[in-house]
Amino acid sequence: MTARLWNRKTRAALLILPLALFIGIFFVWPLGIMVKQSVLDDAVLHLLPRTTEAIAGWDRTAPPTEAMQAALIADLRAADDEKAVGDMVRRLNSAQSGYRTLMTKTLSAVAKPETGPLLTDVDKRWAQPAFWIAIADALEPMTDRYLLAAVDLERNKAGEIAGLPDGASANRTIFIRTFWIAAVVTFFCVLIGYPYALLTAASTGITRTILLTAVLLPLWTSLLVRTAAWFILLQEQGLINGFLLSMGAISSPLPLIFNRTGVVIAMTHVLLPLMVLPIYSVLLTIPTNLMPAATSLGAHPLRAFLHVLLPLSLRGVISGALLVFMTAVGYYITPALVGGAGDQMISSVIAFYSTQTANWSMASALGIVLLVITLILYVVYVQLSGRTSVNGRM
Amino acid sequence: MVDYHIRLDGVTKTFGALRVVDNLRLDIVRGEFLSLLGPSGSGKTTILMMLAGFQDATEGTIYVDGHMINDIPSHRRNMGVVFQSYALFPHMTVAQNVAFPLKMRGVGRAEIDARVNRALDMVQLAALSERRPAQLSGGQQQRVALARALVFEPGVVLMDEPLGALDKQLREQMQLDIRELHGRLGLTIVFVTHDQSEALTMSDRIAVFNKGLIEQIDTPRMIYDHPATRFVAEFIGETNLMEGEIAGREGGEALIRLDSGGMLRVRDRAEFDAGRRVLATVRPEKVELSEAPAAINSIPVAVTDSIYQGDHLRVQLQGPGQRLVARRDRRAAEWTPGAKINATFAPEDCWVIVP
Amino acid sequence: MAGKLISAVFGVLAVCFLLLPLVVILPLAFTSSQFLIYPIPSFSLRWFEELFTTPVWRDSIVNSLIIGAGTTILATVLGVLAALGLREKLNFISAPLNTVFLLPMVVPAVVLGVGMQILYAKLGLSSSYAGIIIAHTVIAIPLVIVSVANSLQGMDTRLELAAASLGAGPAATLRHVTLPLAFPGIMTGAVLAFAVSLDEVVLNIFLAGPGQRTLARQMFATLRDSISPAIAAAAFLFIAGTVLLTLLVLLARRRFSGAR
Ligand SMILES: Nc1ncnc2c1ncn2[C@@H]1O[C@H](COP(=O)(O)OP(=O)(O)OP(=O)(O)O)[C@@H](O)[C@H]1O
Ligand SMILES: [Mg+2]
Repeated sequence: MTARLWNRKTRAALLILPLALFIGIFFVWPLGIMVKQSVLDDAVLHLLPRTTEAIAGWDRTAPPTEAMQAALIADLRAADDEKAVGDMVRRLNSAQSGYRTLMTKTLSAVAKPETGPLLTDVDKRWAQPAFWIAIADALEPMTDRYLLAAVDLERNKAGEIAGLPDGASANRTIFIRTFWIAAVVTFFCVLIGYPYALLTAASTGITRTILLTAVLLPLWTSLLVRTAAWFILLQEQGLINGFLLSMGAISSPLPLIFNRTGVVIAMTHVLLPLMVLPIYSVLLTIPTNLMPAATSLGAHPLRAFLHVLLPLSLRGVISGALLVFMTAVGYYITPALVGGAGDQMISSVIAFYSTQTANWSMASALGIVLLVITLILYVVYVQLSGRTSVNGRM
Repeated sequence: MVDYHIRLDGVTKTFGALRVVDNLRLDIVRGEFLSLLGPSGSGKTTILMMLAGFQDATEGTIYVDGHMINDIPSHRRNMGVVFQSYALFPHMTVAQNVAFPLKMRGVGRAEIDARVNRALDMVQLAALSERRPAQLSGGQQQRVALARALVFEPGVVLMDEPLGALDKQLREQMQLDIRELHGRLGLTIVFVTHDQSEALTMSDRIAVFNKGLIEQIDTPRMIYDHPATRFVAEFIGETNLMEGEIAGREGGEALIRLDSGGMLRVRDRAEFDAGRRVLATVRPEKVELSEAPAAINSIPVAVTDSIYQGDHLRVQLQGPGQRLVARRDRRAAEWTPGAKINATFAPEDCWVIVP
Repeated sequence: MAGKLISAVFGVLAVCFLLLPLVVILPLAFTSSQFLIYPIPSFSLRWFEELFTTPVWRDSIVNSLIIGAGTTILATVLGVLAALGLREKLNFISAPLNTVFLLPMVVPAVVLGVGMQILYAKLGLSSSYAGIIIAHTVIAIPLVIVSVANSLQGMDTRLELAAASLGAGPAATLRHVTLPLAFPGIMTGAVLAFAVSLDEVVLNIFLAGPGQRTLARQMFATLRDSISPAIAAAAFLFIAGTVLLTLLVLLARRRFSGAR
């Protein structure tokens, strides 16, 4: 490599560097932290180093030794980060119910210098091995419990993976619901979008301009504005119900909002352009005289469509469908605004854990499941549409 | 000692396994008009790109005024470049385009204006200085490109098929204009073309390229009359080729026994020994036709076609075992196809090369 | 014939489906009613007044503009630099970076929200303008890169060679030739970045404090509890803004294609 070529490459690298750093820190790192958070389980280990040592030789059935109790007292006395203590208590309570009250009592007791060396004096429950087993089990720095819980699984006492008891969690139901809603929305997008794209590609002049503008305008309009608009249309005193009532088609308002119907209608509207545009761009590459050629060879128009146009445009339909499905799976705003409680998708569960309960481990685990699903869909999409670099067409 | 302006010494360019320019040695004399002529893909543009500094030589050294310039970036080489597609800046006016190199050199406002005006006058475009390139015809764009490449008075101007996109008439006009500018400004010009008549018209010297190698470098006259290789003979103009071997020498002329039978007397080239296989080349316009056989170099032929081409008559002939072409005066008698006649030429009009 | 009729009916219905929502919301911005419903009793500007005078709405508009401007600048600068650099093929670097730079468009906003929330807690960026601008920039980057890369790719590379031969160094070539010619693409990228920032809600929910509540976030909250026509007025602003920006881009493009 000559000096000048080297210079050019160095200059290019320097130009890319700021964004590479930026994306590394604010995009890749957060995703990395999420992965770590979802398998990390050091809330207890972190605060109880002495107990960890003392409990190492314990056989999990004998009564807790005096050394263990003294170590725990020392650890609790040393713990001064209130949030960390809270995390620890929450972690222990999730493994053994009753821990919250026990810890509250114990913590106030160890605050007094005279407490010790035996915790059994503070509360009888410290004599039960179950409470110590909870601590012992929580000392592994890594865990798969959040990832398992994200899909409603857990490890039973024997350490085998098993389903959560019925009613304990609804994650799996919500994932299935998410896929179902996304699939229904994708279906309607294909149903409307494919003929729409065909029509657009077949039309000329002002008609084509109108059809294209009608797709592009919503794409350019704020998602919130569009959702608000559907709100106005779908609500009980909204335009659609008003219209149907005045026509006498119905006698009482249809429930169109805060239910599945509303979510599907609004999401179909929002995502339809993502279906139409890929199909349209594929259709444009198909020579316009193919269909006439096929029919002139004696094919019935329907057969000509099935054997000529459909196979050629299928690539566009599949990329459009993948794009719509992939986007729909991660949707949050629209279901949150026009859906009911039974229409919330996985994103809202993630948001709940993250913003309401600050249970980042659970939020991360669910987020990773969603991320992996999305990335798989994206890889398939890229393979199909052959779009691998930013230097391709948009 | 000749004053070499530019010297390429063992310059090689490879793209992967492809050797586009192969160990090129070439001296360009100060003030000369040198054409690089060759078929498509022979590496002409690549050589120009290396001279301009847009591409690096894989091996070898380029000297300008005795200084090696391999590592000098393009913008400090001070060479004017005229591209085939002109590469005018679309967002600037004609005047801004021509002013650009002066602005880059920090020339003062007033002087820029004066020099831009002079340059535009030179190419007769002063009236269009406020237009944008998109509003100009191809020939006008070409002249803007020329003005832009000359306005900063570079010592060397590199041109890559600058006339390729123009129609024939305009091209011939521009050929003369550029030649005139060259003479007036005393520039060293390296001119890439694959049009042999253009090269013959404009150049002081022509370097004929084939597959990255120089086949011959010489004046247009020498290239045309004394091609060094079969490739050059065939690439520059049209020629008749006759295979045979040297049979002997006689009175300062060489005797060639043709494979098709018959003997030729040709201008001797001492370097060819008796028995050497050679190609005798005769330009069509040197071929005489007559009904009666000539004393020497007479080849019996049959006329296969006679084509009127405006300024001359082209006569296609079938000789013993090979085709020949003759170019006759347009007023000459037309031979009807099938006529049996004789072709002949003077010994000094036949140039012998190795096959 | 029947086929033509069916196509026409379908076309009209589909266009209505696509455009009706955008049309119905606009008149409600001028209602005098308390409610976001038709029919409109009489027209008034009270909801615009509400938008510009009540602190929550006014502050949210200001916040949107601050954050949108910050995002536009940051995303455009980073994106343009990188798009320029990505023109050179760098072994083992270009291909993966091309992919990674586009991924923010793909990763669901909630997922990114969770990750950034945890990161921001560590870095102390939670509930800060800088934090929100950075988050918006992350998701705006792909759009900037794609539009700038597209316009750079459409450019004749010989123009840059010509500039070099005329004495322009790399910096001068960039300033006088490359950037002016890529300007329409840069402009498009900048406008898209602004639009993304304006419309972003999910990341705001995860990362913003009350001090950084944007117009979109405020609309989201209002839609959730007290459905007031102020939303329609805000929507009107959004649409008017979009139209304005689109015109701006078209104008810039026109100016530069006229130059071609
Ligand atoms: N960047 C490149 N990468 C790979 N091969 C190249 C590159 N540039 C040129 N070549 C190859 O090098 C050879 C010579 O190219 P060059 O452009 O120098 O030919 P040329 O003589 O100018 O032809 P033309 O008369 O058609 O312009 C060609 O075979 C071409 O395909
Ligand atoms: Mg060339």
